Amino acid sequence: MFWLVGRIGRVETGAAIPKLPKVEIGSGPPVVIVTVIDPKADAVWVKRIKQNRDEYAKRHGYLTFFPGHGDYPLGTSPVTWSKVPALRHAMTVYPGSTFFWYLDSTALIMNPSIELQSHLLTPSRLEKLMIVNEPVVPPDSVIKTFGNLKGDRIDFVVTQDKEGLTPASIVVRNGEWAKYFLDAWFDPIYRSYNFQKAESHALEHIVQWHGTILAKLALVPQNMLNAYASGPANPKDGKYKEDDLVANFPGCAKDHTCPTEQKPFFDILDGQRKGDD
Amino acid sequence: MSSRSQSPRPGGWSSPGLNTPYDSGGRSSPFTNGGPQNVTWASAQARSAEVKGYTAFAPRNQGFFGKHFRRISTSLPFSYAEKEKLGRGRYPNNKFMQMLNRIGWNLWRMRRSVGVILLIVLSYILFYVTPLHRAYRRSSWFGGGSKYVIILAANQGGGVMEWKGPREWAIERDSVKNKKKYTQKWGYDLEIVDMSTKKRYAHEWRESWEKVDTIRNAMRKYPHAEWFWWLDTNTFIMEPTYSLQNHLFKQLGAITYRDINVYNPLNITHPLTDEYLDPETRSPVGDGKVDSINMLVPQDCGGFNLGSFFVRRSVWTDRLLDIWWDPVGYEQKHMEWEHKEQDALEYMYRNQPWIRPHLAFIHQRKINSFPPGACGDKGDDPHIHYQEKDRDFLVNMAGCEWGRDCWAEMYSYRQLSNRLNRNPWEKFKDWISDSIKARKQSKKQSQKKG
Repeated sequence: MFWLVGRIGRVETGAAIPKLPKVEIGSGPPVVIVTVIDPKADAVWVKRIKQNRDEYAKRHGYLTFFPGHGDYPLGTSPVTWSKVPALRHAMTVYPGSTFFWYLDSTALIMNPSIELQSHLLTPSRLEKLMIVNEPVVPPDSVIKTFGNLKGDRIDFVVTQDKEGLTPASIVVRNGEWAKYFLDAWFDPIYRSYNFQKAESHALEHIVQWHGTILAKLALVPQNMLNAYASGPANPKDGKYKEDDLVANFPGCAKDHTCPTEQKPFFDILDGQRKGDD
Repeated sequence: MSSRSQSPRPGGWSSPGLNTPYDSGGRSSPFTNGGPQNVTWASAQARSAEVKGYTAFAPRNQGFFGKHFRRISTSLPFSYAEKEKLGRGRYPNNKFMQMLNRIGWNLWRMRRSVGVILLIVLSYILFYVTPLHRAYRRSSWFGGGSKYVIILAANQGGGVMEWKGPREWAIERDSVKNKKKYTQKWGYDLEIVDMSTKKRYAHEWRESWEKVDTIRNAMRKYPHAEWFWWLDTNTFIMEPTYSLQNHLFKQLGAITYRDINVYNPLNITHPLTDEYLDPETRSPVGDGKVDSINMLVPQDCGGFNLGSFFVRRSVWTDRLLDIWWDPVGYEQKHMEWEHKEQDALEYMYRNQPWIRPHLAFIHQRKINSFPPGACGDKGDDPHIHYQEKDRDFLVNMAGCEWGRDCWAEMYSYRQLSNRLNRNPWEKFKDWISDSIKARKQSKKQSQKKG
């Protein structure tokens, strides 16, 4: 009995309720744009990429967040994995925001007039755009996206290119589910598993094997969020055309060709800006 | 009243006068008056008090006998006139009848209060004799027993591959009976899961990782239950009088620890310090509130122990059960993870930060005391081993199948539990038989000596 008393006493002293900052989700700016920057990349180009996001964010009252590759305990895993803790990090820094849009540094926001929420994220919009009964991995994987999901229950918006799910441009809703999803995705087992395409294949894996993830996922047409200016676009709707929100050059970071590849697009953006003035 | 002279009581004049219980002169005949030498002030007072105890002005023949004896006797074709005059319709010498009459009269006089008491006693008996108390304990409004489900794994490791002897059957029978009784008593649900049937899929690669599926099925089967308690076969509830509500859930904050550093046999680094994690995940105790606990796990000397643990129905739990088994993890680790789900949970606790704020550890002896032989042969670790004097709730004969005698352990703990939970009457009987035995033995011994 004394033992119990002793133990209980010990625990109660340690179990004081900690003072955690309580921030209501939705109290902050609605969207945070997250882009992980490679610190070794060309500084001028990095500046332009940041500017591209900052201008868009300013226009719609969003926030931006630019961590570096080295900020996270990746160990020996490929640096592309850093997008997962970066999203979690952004949620820690801006706990009041609702949507966190991860956009690879290889992508440019081409149509700043599009407001992301009304364009994509309202429940009715999501219900309209969601592609249901689609094999998660094209062309014919057994696991297909769920039908009859409610738009307000969606926590994760993603697109599919020709080869499969692509995490180059995704939106995750802040909340408990996001913590679960990001932590499970970042599990060291997947990082060390040698998936051929690192975090994209790990994503495909957890989406296919775990119903609690698939049930929160909305697959939307690729050009809504992640149109490809080059690379293996989804044959249906993946190719970039004018007025799309995003133009992505998926392979350019690996090949270090982003500045040159993106040059014509930067020019268009510059022209737009002049037109606006 | 007190000034009133002694008047005939309803019982007539047969009262033996001075021969009152207060004045026991040792006389055998009730008719002999107590000698004047016995009349003391006290006895006189007592006598008058006795008289006053009955309403002196009450009309005669009020009691049942008074009312009816007369009528009965007058309707008889014999004349008892003379006798009646003398005896006033009584059997003057029948003390027993008088007593009955008196008691009846008193009861009648106090009929209200007696009736209420009777009703209370009767309903108390009815409540506990009939299944009514179970319904009460079960109902979500009163006892809340339907919030709890015990999942008992039967036939673990048995089935096609392993031969099951009479001892194994006996262990299982005892274990099941023990939980059946307990759940019935408190209005919980019991889900017995035959783990051997799943062995049909022994060729399947996720062989014997059924805890997750089983808990999920139970959650589906009992949609209104909140807490699910997993129990291995080799467990015995020692104290069936403890309800889960009182023993655990009303004092959850005091009997659990969120910070694994309180007892950390696996040396898990806690709390997490990575800056990208939110403050709640980095906090050593989550948000520190009891209602954020979704899982209760005891730790033994080797780390987490899933022989007896709780999960709460919640979205968090759905996610945990979903991610618990994963083919990549299984493929990579199934050789290394000898204890399957248990090792996998330890791994996830280490590597997936979202788990920590909602998992609480419970002091092992609250739900999972070990017998000697598990975690040390002496059985004297006050954090781990069963202590009779503390009346621990449950014994888990963990690892008894590896070189210990499961059946002997089960049997001895069953006997101990029965002995500890005897009712007073049984204790009395045992005390008598024990003392007789002891006397016989001492006689034998003295004879031997002689």
